[in-house]
Amino acid sequence: MDETILEARNLRKQFGGLVAVDDVSLRVRRGSVHSIIGPNGAGKTTFFNLLTGTYKPTRGQVFFKGQEITQVPLYRRAHLGMGRSFQITNIFPNLTVLENARLAVQAMSRINFQFFRRAESFTRFTDRALEVLTLVGLADMADYPANVLPHGGKRKLELAILLAPDPDVLLLDEPTAGMASEQVPELLATINVVRQQGQKTIVLVEHNMNVVMNISDVITVMNLGKLLAEGSPAEISANQTVQSVYLGELYNPSEN
Amino acid sequence: MQSTRSLPRWRRVFQSNRLYLAVLMFLVVFPHLVGWITGDSPFGVGGRPRGQSVFWQSVFIEVFILAILTMSYNLIFGFTGVISFGHALFFGLGGYILGLVLQMTDLGPEIGLVIGGVIGVAICGLLGFLMGLVSLRLRGVYFAIFTLAIAEMFFIYIGRWPLTNAEDGFALNNIPELLNSTRNRLTYYYLALVLVVLTFLFIRRLINSPTGKVLLAIRENENRAQAIGYNTLTFKLVAITLAGMMAAGAGMLHVILNKKVGPETLGLTYTVDPLLMTIIGGVGTHAGPLIGTAGLHLSERVFNREFIIGSTTINIGQNWSLILGIVFIVVVLVFPQGVVGTWARWRQRRRAARAPTEGGDV
Repeated sequence: MDETILEARNLRKQFGGLVAVDDVSLRVRRGSVHSIIGPNGAGKTTFFNLLTGTYKPTRGQVFFKGQEITQVPLYRRAHLGMGRSFQITNIFPNLTVLENARLAVQAMSRINFQFFRRAESFTRFTDRALEVLTLVGLADMADYPANVLPHGGKRKLELAILLAPDPDVLLLDEPTAGMASEQVPELLATINVVRQQGQKTIVLVEHNMNVVMNISDVITVMNLGKLLAEGSPAEISANQTVQSVYLGELYNPSEN
Repeated sequence: MQSTRSLPRWRRVFQSNRLYLAVLMFLVVFPHLVGWITGDSPFGVGGRPRGQSVFWQSVFIEVFILAILTMSYNLIFGFTGVISFGHALFFGLGGYILGLVLQMTDLGPEIGLVIGGVIGVAICGLLGFLMGLVSLRLRGVYFAIFTLAIAEMFFIYIGRWPLTNAEDGFALNNIPELLNSTRNRLTYYYLALVLVVLTFLFIRRLINSPTGKVLLAIRENENRAQAIGYNTLTFKLVAITLAGMMAAGAGMLHVILNKKVGPETLGLTYTVDPLLMTIIGGVGTHAGPLIGTAGLHLSERVFNREFIIGSTTINIGQNWSLILGIVFIVVVLVFPQGVVGTWARWRQRRRAARAPTEGGDV
């Protein structure tokens, strides 16, 4: 089980004179939960966007399942088994909740250019979409337009869209962003279910320290665009440098 | 809703389309109805295309042609979320290509019509595809400006092209007798009506298909559509190619009706009119373009003239653009979803108020 599924080699991203990500390398083990943390402006989100293909790196390479994907466009990575979520809620607001999830299933199929059949007549896609909506707890809302969902519901839908095509690696960009703190455990439970069901690999960019410490196998700490430290949650909480940069201000172990 | 689901399929189809079918029935009998009321035969008076029925046929043929153009515009603007300011290019170019094949070759009217029609639709589809290929990576206003520039370029160039008599255009008289809008206007009326119905059905089918759902997803959130694995450029290309082909067809109907090909068909009017008609009728709805086109064009035909009330003469025609502009501003500010969207929302709210427990039935 020590196989690397996603790897970044010496990634660098420069915006004009600003080096947002500076020579960062990372190996994500298959089946692990790997978190990326760091203070604001550490380059976490830029790094995340380099992994998902939203940005192309100035230098360096990205490998997925042993294959180089540095130049592979965003939409193709989904077909390789990479799914990503967004920090800002990112759904199809005027389509129904079911249609949101159904589209994510359809994307992996070969029916995208069938002009003359009703989309609903492909029942296995609808069935799969309903299955995922049930998993995240939105099955009752299936026929509502997505924009009537409360914020927490939209975050769940976001997760359903992500899970629907059954990707091998889930890249989550601050999944708890803007969530009420009492909803966080529910989300964590769902992530755990997903993980245990399907042997998923999860890469997480997160601010919420309690979340990260609870569910991660490996934590990578970034600061000022560079890799600062990497290790298990225990190692990271014990790391003096990390504490001085980041944890000291935000994470208080006595809270748990 | 359970009760309608148990009905046989054809009854369900019939029930959900009964309003459309009623309008269609009305349009089928309309020329005869006018003829019966006014006493002017729908085939003309005294062997000439005169009389109320024939006049209204031509007004409605114009509505049908604009409806096809507007529906094609709605496919990219309303359903895919791509704003183009160059749609007139396809409308005008379709007419020009058909006109050139009919007038400048020896193919004869019938074969010329078929070949010119096929070539025109194909070229406009290809042009839409190529325009999309170079420019659809641009989003929003940049794409709109690009399409505007291309369309205006054709407008200016063809308006100065000696082969087609520059800005005068050329007359189209080598057309099949059956489609001669002077002698066989009623036939032309039904032909245009059939093409409206076919365009409507085609677009509705497309939007309900897996492909159409992706178009809607692109309109809703293109970034997300890409993230879940759709190559959105391909789907936008499909939409703009199909829309270009349909607009070319509308342009051909237009030049056959008017028996004249001129550069004004490439002008901004035929981009802006479909845009206004789509917005007023309801962006991204199936009935919206039809209602918007009929409403705007018919009211223009009815009100765009002088009214004499007692001793005062009111010339609405002079102020027609102003009135249209005010209507448009009001619609955008007060009813941004247009006639159809506003009506659908109102009905939905009323239903929700009546049966609050059946909230899921939207």
